[in-house]
Amino acid sequence: MPKTIMTVDDALTMRKVISFTLKGAGFDVIEAQDGVAALGVLKGRAVDAIISDVNMPNMDGLELTRQLRQLPAFARTPIILLTTESDPEIKNRGRAAGATGWIVKPFQPEQLLAVMSRVLPA
Amino acid sequence: MDASIQQQLIADLLVESFEGLDRYDHELLQIESGTAGADSLNVIFRVIHTIKGTAGCLGLSHIQRVAHTGENLLDLLRSGGISASPEMISALLKLSDALRSMLRSLEASGSEGDADHSPLISLLDRLQEPLGAVEPIVPAPVASPASSVVQSQCAEPIPATSAPGADAGFGFFDDDLAPVQMPEPLFPAPVPTPAPFPEAAAPSAGSGAGAAAGSPAASVSAGAPPAENAGRSNAEDSAIRVDVAHLDRLMNLVGELVLARNQILQKAGVVQDPTLLSTAQRLNVITTELQEGVMKTRMQPIGNVWTRFPRIVRDVSAELGKKVRLYMEGRETELDRTIIEAIKDPLIHIVRNAIDHGIESPERRVAAGKPEEGALVLRAYHEGGQVIIEIADDGAGINAEKVRARALRDGRITPEQAARMPDREAFNLVFLPGLSTAEKITNVSGRGVGMDVVKTNIERIGGSIELLSELGSGTTLRIKIPLTLAIIPALIVTSGGERFAIPQVSLVELVRIDTAGEGRGIESLYGAPVYRLRERLLPLAMLDRELGIVPAEAATPGSETGSNLIVLQADGRQFGLVVDEINDTQEIVVKPLSKIFRSLTCYAGATIMGDGRVALILDVLGLAQRAAVLSDATAQAAAVDPNRAASVLANREKLLLIEAGGGSRLAIPLSSVDRLEEFERSRFEWSGGRQVIQYRGGILPLVPLNRLVPNLPEPEESSDNAQVVVHSSGGRSVGILVGHVSDIVEEEGSERSAGDGSGLLGSTVIQGRVVDLFDPTRLHLSAH
Repeated sequence: MPKTIMTVDDALTMRKVISFTLKGAGFDVIEAQDGVAALGVLKGRAVDAIISDVNMPNMDGLELTRQLRQLPAFARTPIILLTTESDPEIKNRGRAAGATGWIVKPFQPEQLLAVMSRVLPA
Repeated sequence: MDASIQQQLIADLLVESFEGLDRYDHELLQIESGTAGADSLNVIFRVIHTIKGTAGCLGLSHIQRVAHTGENLLDLLRSGGISASPEMISALLKLSDALRSMLRSLEASGSEGDADHSPLISLLDRLQEPLGAVEPIVPAPVASPASSVVQSQCAEPIPATSAPGADAGFGFFDDDLAPVQMPEPLFPAPVPTPAPFPEAAAPSAGSGAGAAAGSPAASVSAGAPPAENAGRSNAEDSAIRVDVAHLDRLMNLVGELVLARNQILQKAGVVQDPTLLSTAQRLNVITTELQEGVMKTRMQPIGNVWTRFPRIVRDVSAELGKKVRLYMEGRETELDRTIIEAIKDPLIHIVRNAIDHGIESPERRVAAGKPEEGALVLRAYHEGGQVIIEIADDGAGINAEKVRARALRDGRITPEQAARMPDREAFNLVFLPGLSTAEKITNVSGRGVGMDVVKTNIERIGGSIELLSELGSGTTLRIKIPLTLAIIPALIVTSGGERFAIPQVSLVELVRIDTAGEGRGIESLYGAPVYRLRERLLPLAMLDRELGIVPAEAATPGSETGSNLIVLQADGRQFGLVVDEINDTQEIVVKPLSKIFRSLTCYAGATIMGDGRVALILDVLGLAQRAAVLSDATAQAAAVDPNRAASVLANREKLLLIEAGGGSRLAIPLSSVDRLEEFERSRFEWSGGRQVIQYRGGILPLVPLNRLVPNLPEPEESSDNAQVVVHSSGGRSVGILVGHVSDIVEEEGSERSAGDGSGLLGSTVIQGRVVDLFDPTRLHLSAH
């Protein structure tokens, strides 16, 4: 069974970049355009990991992380936040929200895969 | 990443970014005008943030870098560290311009272009410096942009301020995570340098991470997209992007199908086979529906063109120091894309003109009792198979007098025309080439080029433009354009054995001239054929002779026993076209003429008729100009031969012809004759040494004509009645005792000779005799 990763980003092209990269590495990918949409999907099904943008309309990545951590099914699911600024402020907030790790945008496909290989060991 | 995937992702990025930047401009302008919503800054930030992030991931380092600088500034704004200044808004608009130009270059050539954006970057950086003692909440990036050149596609341009040296572009909050959970990955962790991974690493990483997966191609998301996601994918799936060339080809094919349908319908009518007839009818219905369907796919809302206007209005009004608010109504009104393309530039020109010449400066507006901020309204709606676009401003309006004076000074119109020209016609003089009434030439407009080009462009696509204005309260330009250009309804006529199609939009009415009976037929006015239609003189053009189908001497005006007259409208004026036969109205498919025939202005194209033969489509405006039958000033300026009918008709002046006794004849312009009266001589009285008569409750002084014009004999007092020309000016009237009024004629103005400075204007030839022209205005002055 291929592992399924959800990517959450309001930018369609960004979702596609992530999706192409992950599919190329053998993952299944489902997409959501913001936190609200992601929560809606995740209440109905499980995924192996979540890669979420931080800055999104409706519900941002931090709030999505907080809400997912309230759900038993997602208490331990790796959640990786995509951040633009590699400044400590956003990292502290990510840590407080319960995220697993972060990737700074822009990133190379290889960096994304390196992170996934660490949080989702084969 | 695979090159074709990269291409596809860049295409997505282009679409997404252009859309985003439109939103960005819109929100930014709202912030500037103080009408922004609470979320505006976030929207703006997110657009730039997304462009930066996506561009960076796709290796577009220029775009990434420019966007990055903007993002920093926007982040400060968003967090309240600094507040938006007009300068900042301008800089942020320049940012979207710069990004657009790079994206366009990327779209056109595949590279971001090598334009130097460093002035913009330094400007955006400078604006981030805190004003006064206000400390930004979010610290500005440590590295100066000049030094933070993006090192590679993937590297984060700003070195992390924390965890020096350890930031590989990613990390984990749980320090134990990596050692505990991670079996030795293919990459050393943490990655020591932010240098890009070798390209070859990706597949191996893939096989390491997802070894269990089948073929990567089969790994499309297996789970059914749940509700929220489904809604979105549906929205995405319901619209697809189609190459415009495909649509054009489809439209062409539908055009051919319409032609084939017409032929079959005609054939079916002849053959009288019921099966063929019903099949033909079905074909007819389906073809019509198909045609409508294809036309719909080519329709675009006019709002697509209008999205640029808020920005144009802002920039132009800022440049001119004016305050303008733009209102747009009917953005969803749809038009064929070829027409949208054709009206884009004219619309921009009109909008710029409206701000430059129409809307006044804030001081003037306040002085005139208007709100400081001018209003510019763009309005679009459908009406009678056409689209109407109005551009209205509440500015100063056009001074018809000034336009007349300017046109007069430039020799575009004669003083007589100027005097007679109603305001509505005078406004349309602004469409004359080279005529500008702008008092000062500005950067924006007023060079006198443009409005004529605007008019030409609009008319080229079968549209028309008119100008309405009220001095002091504003100007409205109304453009009428057809929905589509490809298939048009037309009237088919025959002349000289040839068939021609006349676009229905130019058609006013059809008239059958019966010259056999008592009714008036075609008359000749100074060599130009005219027809009296409801007491109005309609200039005529004979189609066969204009096109040289029959030699001009073969027929003389009025010799036809019966003619078909088509009243056509071109350039806001009407004229009659005489043809041999009027056949039918039809939907015709417009086929452009080959380049060789482009110079023939009489034809707009060709079409194929039901019987398979070709018919030429007449260009009504071109034909009218060739025949010089448009009698208004605009057409006259454009007419090739000023001696043709148009000028004669326009210059004609009605004269009152007087037998002054002793064989002398005199003519008085009818325009200066108030009334023509016949008085009994017995009613004449004397007052103050003058002959007077009680007239309309007042006393009218009477002057014999020979007192005023030298060398005239005493008027004969043969009858008991005297004919008197009453002339008024400045509230006073005088009665001129004339001998005998013989006729009212129209003058052939051209042969007028100069006057001698007395009461006479000069002489002219009327009905083969020399006649003195008499100016009662001068008489009036000297008589008092």
